[in-house]
Amino acid sequence: MNNPEPTVFVVDDEPGVLKGLSRLLRSTRLNVASFGSPQEFLEQHDPHAPGCLVLDVAMPGLNGLELQAALAQKGSAIPIIFLTGQGDIPMSVQAMKRGALDFLTKPVNDEDLLKAVHAGIAKDRVARQAKAELDEIHQRLATLTPREREVMEHVIAGQLNKQTAADLGTVEKTIKVHRARVMEKMKVQSVAELVRLAERAGVRRSGQ
Amino acid sequence: MSWVTILWSMTAAACLTLAAIQFLVWCHRRTMWADLLFTLTATGVAVYAGCELWMIRAVTPAQFATALRWLQVPTWVVVVSLAGFVRLHLHAGRRWLAWSVFALRSLALLLNFLVGQNLNYREVTRLRHVPFLGESASLGVGVSNPCMIVGQLSLLLLVIFTVDATITVWRRGDRRQAVLTGGSIAFFALTGMAQAVLVLWRLVDLPLTESFFFLGIVVAMGFEMSRETLRAAQLSDDLRESEARMTLAAEAAGFGIWMWTLATNQVWGSERWLRLFGFEPGEAVTFEKLTQRIHPDDRERVASAVRHAVETGADYASEYRIMLPDGTVRWIAARGRKHPAPRGKPARMLGASIDITDRKQSELETAQQRNQLAHLSRVNMLGELAGSLAHELNQPLTAILSNAQAAQRFLAHDSPDLSEVRDILADIVAEDKRAGEVIHRLRLLLKKGEIQNLPLAVNEVVQEVLQLVRSDLVNQGFTAQTELAPDLPVVHGDRVQLQQVLINLVMNACDAMAGSPAGGRKLIIRTAPAEGEGVCVSVADRGVGLAPDKLETIFEPFFSTKAHGMGLGLSVCRSIITAHGGKLRATNNPKRGATFHFTLPAGAETKP
Repeated sequence: MNNPEPTVFVVDDEPGVLKGLSRLLRSTRLNVASFGSPQEFLEQHDPHAPGCLVLDVAMPGLNGLELQAALAQKGSAIPIIFLTGQGDIPMSVQAMKRGALDFLTKPVNDEDLLKAVHAGIAKDRVARQAKAELDEIHQRLATLTPREREVMEHVIAGQLNKQTAADLGTVEKTIKVHRARVMEKMKVQSVAELVRLAERAGVRRSGQ
Repeated sequence: MSWVTILWSMTAAACLTLAAIQFLVWCHRRTMWADLLFTLTATGVAVYAGCELWMIRAVTPAQFATALRWLQVPTWVVVVSLAGFVRLHLHAGRRWLAWSVFALRSLALLLNFLVGQNLNYREVTRLRHVPFLGESASLGVGVSNPCMIVGQLSLLLLVIFTVDATITVWRRGDRRQAVLTGGSIAFFALTGMAQAVLVLWRLVDLPLTESFFFLGIVVAMGFEMSRETLRAAQLSDDLRESEARMTLAAEAAGFGIWMWTLATNQVWGSERWLRLFGFEPGEAVTFEKLTQRIHPDDRERVASAVRHAVETGADYASEYRIMLPDGTVRWIAARGRKHPAPRGKPARMLGASIDITDRKQSELETAQQRNQLAHLSRVNMLGELAGSLAHELNQPLTAILSNAQAAQRFLAHDSPDLSEVRDILADIVAEDKRAGEVIHRLRLLLKKGEIQNLPLAVNEVVQEVLQLVRSDLVNQGFTAQTELAPDLPVVHGDRVQLQQVLINLVMNACDAMAGSPAGGRKLIIRTAPAEGEGVCVSVADRGVGLAPDKLETIFEPFFSTKAHGMGLGLSVCRSIITAHGGKLRATNNPKRGATFHFTLPAGAETKP
């Protein structure tokens, strides 16, 4: 997968602050996109674009927490680093509970911000990788016939071919063929590997 | 000495005495022309009596004729002066009648010297001697002069003129004067004329005794004149007493009375007034000398108020400070008015002044207390606003820090982009200035300074307040909308205190909307021209509104709807607005919430 360069999105209603933060981030050769209001960001944001979000909490119209909720609703999992003028504890607790990556107090030191931003980018990268893998598993799963799927559910439940054949009302030999097809389609070498993939994709085990 | 000589001489003497007295009176008050006319009448009667005596004692017809001719001169004087006296003293009588009397009598006098031996006889041929008061009196016999009728007519006209004037006086209500002066002149003139007719037409054998009738007139007039003199004396006594009473009252009230004669520039002042301004009793004060006593800061203001009063005749009132020679400063309140010049006198300005230093002192103390309370409440208010203010400072600080650290990093690059660094430095300077502004505004609000009274643009004050409270509003999800009228008149006042009032009202509006849902948290600040000259500022919220019976009580001290409020905010706001000459009140909106309105008069000066 050829991921584009990650971008740091900065949202702050204060033009001076927005400019300063963007410059700081650009000075470390990061890609930066700045937005003067949460609405603007929400309209233009592409959930597939990798990166992280640096977000001011107190803004007129839509505040930071509300933007966080709106993004979650859109299915965007972009890591968010909140900036606040006043170490507002209740607000930061709420933000962290909803999955905020960090909560920094203005004026923010470059080291802290950059650390948080890099952590955010890394987290995003990992999350996107994980999601890509998961998508791959799902794609493989989608190639299975219903019969093969049934056989796989029995295999990952640890049943022997004989038991599976009895359950599905067929002969052991047929099960063996299906089992080989499953292993092939799921691109795995061992049952243990198959169990791991199925677990990640959340495939239920037969009889459970 | 014969009876005749005694009687006529006494008549003449009495008349001359009265004439002399009244002449002296007239010399003192030259404007009283009636006094002079009385003198003329009395003198005329005295001469007349002499001529009559001359006739009685005449030895030859020629002597008698000459005496009778010269008799016409005092007659002219008496008749003409009487007519004048009636007009001037009684202020009545038809002018044309008076002039007719004058003309006819003058004609009679002319004929007297031109036609025949005298007005009455063309020629006196012989003398008759009749017994009179135990003596013999000479009576003329001869050819009558028809011109005599002119003389008689003039006398009749005098009587008619006098009766007419008397009726006018009677109707006017001066009955006593009408009877005494008008009545007696008419009566004695008529009887005198009748006697003359009887004697000259030889219907009775008596010499002319006109002078006795004239004496009657003179006595009646003299009585009237002396009563007048008495009344003048009484008036002057009354005046003195009234002046004493007024001085006493003014003294008791602490007033100093002054009179400024514009033409001579002299200022007369009562003793109290002189003391008030630190002058010696009896010291001659000019307007310039007085101006020197006025505090230099107030001099121009007082001078222009005085000028205005002198030019327009309007009432003059001002309060100003004076500096006494020993350096003490006192507050004076003065009132006065220009009095139009009475006849023959220069225009003057009269007035009273009082020392109001104590009142001013307490006013000043009240203002200081109000100022202190306003400051306390301001500090308290800023405490509540601290979060917002910290945020206002935080923003530029954040921008500065980020910019500076970005610059450090840019400079660490292999080929630093110097134009970027230049931009960064410019932004740092701008942001630093912004932070300085916030601190400056904050310091002004926290300062416990003298109240300023400067021209202000109200819209500017509204914008400044919104900058101060903006973060607070944003943090709590409030939006503030402004509807500011352009071209508002300039008001005078204390910027900080007006900001305080507005911040208070905005914070109250937010408190009122604390329970409102996110969409309803909106407040509107409006400015508009007020009725008359001035500006009206209102802060409207969409909160819970006020109970109708609380619309006034909220302005009372220690009234609070908040758990932690001091309850001073609104009462201090109201006292600030009142001190600016405006009004602060609250009303409920038709739909939701309440609105606080305050007015500020245009160009008004606050009380010091």
